Amino acid sequence: MTDIEEGRPLPETPELAHREARAAGALGVLMVLAGIVVLIDAARLRDSDETLGPAAAPTLLGILLAVIGGALAFQSRHFLRTAQGPKRNLWRLAALVVVLIAFALLLPIMGYVVSSAGLFVGAALLLGAPHPARVLAYGWTLAIVVFLVFDVLIGLSLPTGPWGF
Amino acid sequence: MGDLLSGFADALTPGNLLWAFIGVTIGTAVGVLPGIGPALTVALLLPVTFRLEPAAALIMFAGIYYGGMYGGSTTSILLNTPGESASVATALEGNKMARAGRGAAALATAAIGSFVAGTIGTIALSAAAPLVADIAIHFGPPEYVALMAVAFVTVSALLGPSLLKGAAGLVIGATIGLVGIDTQTGQARLAFGLPSLFDGIDVVIVVVALFALGETFAHLLAGTGDSRVEPLRGQPMLSRDDFRRSWPAWLRGTALGFPIGSLPAGGADVPTFLSYSIEKRLSKRPEQFGRGAIEGVAGPEAANNAAAAGVLVPLLTIGLPTSATAAVILTAFQSYGLQPGPQLFSESGDLVWALIASLYIGNVLLLVLNLPLAKVWVRLLAIPAYGIYAGVLVFACLGAFAAGGTIADLIVLTVLGLVGLLMREAGVPVAPAVVGLILAPLAEQQLRRALALSEGDWSTLVSSPLTVILWAVVLLALVAPPLFARVKKHRRHIDEVRTG
Amino acid sequence: MRYSWRPAAAGPFVAAGVATLLLIASLVWGGDDDAGFLNGRQLRLMAPAAPGGGWDQTAREMQAALRTEAGRTEVYNVAGAGGTIGLSQFVSHEGDPTQLMVMGLVMVGAIESNDSPVALDRTTPLARLLTDYEVIVVPADSPVKNMADLVNAMKDDVGKVSWAGGSAGGIEQILAGLVADAVGADPAEVNYVAHSGGGEALSTLLSGRATAGVSGVSELEGQIKAGTIRPVAVSSPQRLPTLPDVPTLKEQGVDVELANWRGVVAPPGISAADERQLEDLLVRMTRTEAWKETLQRRGWLDATMTGDQFEQYIAGERRTVTDVLVKMGLA
Repeated sequence: MTDIEEGRPLPETPELAHREARAAGALGVLMVLAGIVVLIDAARLRDSDETLGPAAAPTLLGILLAVIGGALAFQSRHFLRTAQGPKRNLWRLAALVVVLIAFALLLPIMGYVVSSAGLFVGAALLLGAPHPARVLAYGWTLAIVVFLVFDVLIGLSLPTGPWGF
Repeated sequence: MGDLLSGFADALTPGNLLWAFIGVTIGTAVGVLPGIGPALTVALLLPVTFRLEPAAALIMFAGIYYGGMYGGSTTSILLNTPGESASVATALEGNKMARAGRGAAALATAAIGSFVAGTIGTIALSAAAPLVADIAIHFGPPEYVALMAVAFVTVSALLGPSLLKGAAGLVIGATIGLVGIDTQTGQARLAFGLPSLFDGIDVVIVVVALFALGETFAHLLAGTGDSRVEPLRGQPMLSRDDFRRSWPAWLRGTALGFPIGSLPAGGADVPTFLSYSIEKRLSKRPEQFGRGAIEGVAGPEAANNAAAAGVLVPLLTIGLPTSATAAVILTAFQSYGLQPGPQLFSESGDLVWALIASLYIGNVLLLVLNLPLAKVWVRLLAIPAYGIYAGVLVFACLGAFAAGGTIADLIVLTVLGLVGLLMREAGVPVAPAVVGLILAPLAEQQLRRALALSEGDWSTLVSSPLTVILWAVVLLALVAPPLFARVKKHRRHIDEVRTG
Repeated sequence: MRYSWRPAAAGPFVAAGVATLLLIASLVWGGDDDAGFLNGRQLRLMAPAAPGGGWDQTAREMQAALRTEAGRTEVYNVAGAGGTIGLSQFVSHEGDPTQLMVMGLVMVGAIESNDSPVALDRTTPLARLLTDYEVIVVPADSPVKNMADLVNAMKDDVGKVSWAGGSAGGIEQILAGLVADAVGADPAEVNYVAHSGGGEALSTLLSGRATAGVSGVSELEGQIKAGTIRPVAVSSPQRLPTLPDVPTLKEQGVDVELANWRGVVAPPGISAADERQLEDLLVRMTRTEAWKETLQRRGWLDATMTGDQFEQYIAGERRTVTDVLVKMGLA
């Protein structure tokens, strides 16, 4: 059984620990950047005559983001400097993101059934499914069942393509 | 009591039982899907039910409501993909249990816990609704500020092993909660001029993104698309030990869920987080938490369902809908000419008692439906991960689309999914992010409301006996655990001295 | 190990085939129940708010009332930001007469206070349908007995009178601002505490922390009749049939009148013939028994108005609302 647990106290192998520290460092840097954006956005707000105005909470959170993010980045500074580890399936991740965005953009044009079947097939193949033809059959069936249940039976209006589904 | 019995007589006709059964089935089915909650389902089915008798329609809605509340736990446990915020706490331990092959036990304790809590909650609803409502209406903004403080100090158990990383999760969630138009001044915050962000990011989308998409992305990165979980064989669904550990958790979860659920701004998520923290603190085996402790499933699930009954208190007694589902049920009431509120019981008593009776029936039906199904659901895990997670993506996108109705919601979903992945990789727990997302905006709004109402006088925060009691609880929660730890250490020290 | 999960190699393809047949059957079967309106195409009606709110209720009641006039109508929700999110999505249906959207005074206000990039002049207004009025209430044990007490308190120190109501820039805040303006107080000083809905505002009022509350009449009717809150004024020109004992603002010397009206708009760029046909349809709908029964049941008042008159009405409402929002420092 392979598993990917989150929040595990001690990663078992040095390689995993290294990976986690690098991700923590990246997240820390991202949080510092986000903190700056939040503070800039808060400064732009029109003040009100309240004791605590609309900017109070974002200012506090912006500072917290920067401080905590800074601490995370600082903790893993050694790992950030070292060279990238082996390229793990990053291209697959990028491809899945492309599939998801394509789904969002094609949904109003191609309709729910075709886009969802496409999403299913794309995701399953990227996750490593064998037998593309069978995956296509499953995806097509699932998309139709969802469409029939939610659009036709319950009445949630799903987008349709020029062919009516 | 006689009223309730005649309510049962009304609800127990074969026709109504059929509607209750249909409601429970639909509710469970939609509750299982991430993002499609009972509110949307009831709203969509409203026009269909116009042709039904009022009693039948309300009974069906009650079934959908409880079914939806229960259904959310199934995907949380099996796939670590809660469909709504109230199931997040269930996922924490439940999914660990499922990964260890004990999914059936987790599902069983969730089903029985839901039944116990739902039943006690319904009894409390029928016996004490007006009384509870009397206390609940004294909750104004200062009381909520104090309640939020209690919630913040007690959820520390959710933060995980590293305080810094737990805090990072909390702050990330709170920041996501800032997005959208500020209620008090009507100004958009962190929306960057995008109209789709004006209303904030739906909690459902955040939960689905951080959990379901994060989980899918993680499988992709790890290349574990072929993995599957084999359920442990030859074990009873719920062993005697499991049961012994579960039942106190069910009762404690119920005791938290019902009262907090019946507060006008309580909701079902806060008590589930509180219940998880309390179970972890009280457990004799705290080291099992994070590895699949059954109390951590039993408590939050019970709290969730008890809160679902609690939410009906302000709805029926003051006509206050405190959740989206309650708002839709209110619409349903009104379309049958019923005006929930102080006079509901005197004016349309029969219908209300029929509704309460059907809540009992719905509970029994849910148990009957779900306990045998637990073994069937667990077999889902025998499907390889690529099949499961491709399906999860399809439903997650459907849910995100249904929640917001725009393409932008799907883009937000993807971006937040990537944030969730990075958090996972960095060992930052995602549950605190959901806590921050829910509690921080509530705390901010209530604090600002309290200060606006008192014209900037901070002493309003301790201006009533209720607030003083709640702040005392906050102090206790801060002081007591370190004190306990010291006493324990001291005792151990004495023991060691004696034995040594 | 993998074959334990596969039913049979051909299974998925059979399932896909059956599903396709079902899908085609549902399309053929469900396709012909329309009443032939607009060349048999189905109307789609957007409720630019979450399920359960006023616009959602209006849309779903219309769906029921339109059944005899235009066959099956589809209702969908696009929630958020006083309807401006729905509006910005709606205008993309340019020239499509089968798309309609429910809107009302709240949207007029939200466009101004949110600085929405899309305004109502990008739509084709069809008809105003109904109005719902607002009621000003105080807690049952409040020293404020009537509107005069409230007005005096405001004249003393407008900041000491706190108002609990719905979202910022919404109709409740507009009413509070109009009242302050009418009694000679500064609208910018009004201590308005916004809530995400009438229910939440009610709970703040019941907790006894706010001086007064504002909400839709239909939302508070039950509370008023039970005596947990005391109504001091309604915002209608005449007393309302549902609350005959509650005087209007005007009766009590406050020259303010505010109707929370709701109407329907079509996308921009539809032909004049389509516009006329849609307006006729809506007028026919307001004459159905189902619609009259709806108004009665929900306590809404009929306010049918179409064409140019409605367009001018919107423009007038926009001026009033913008004026008070600017005075209150919200736009």
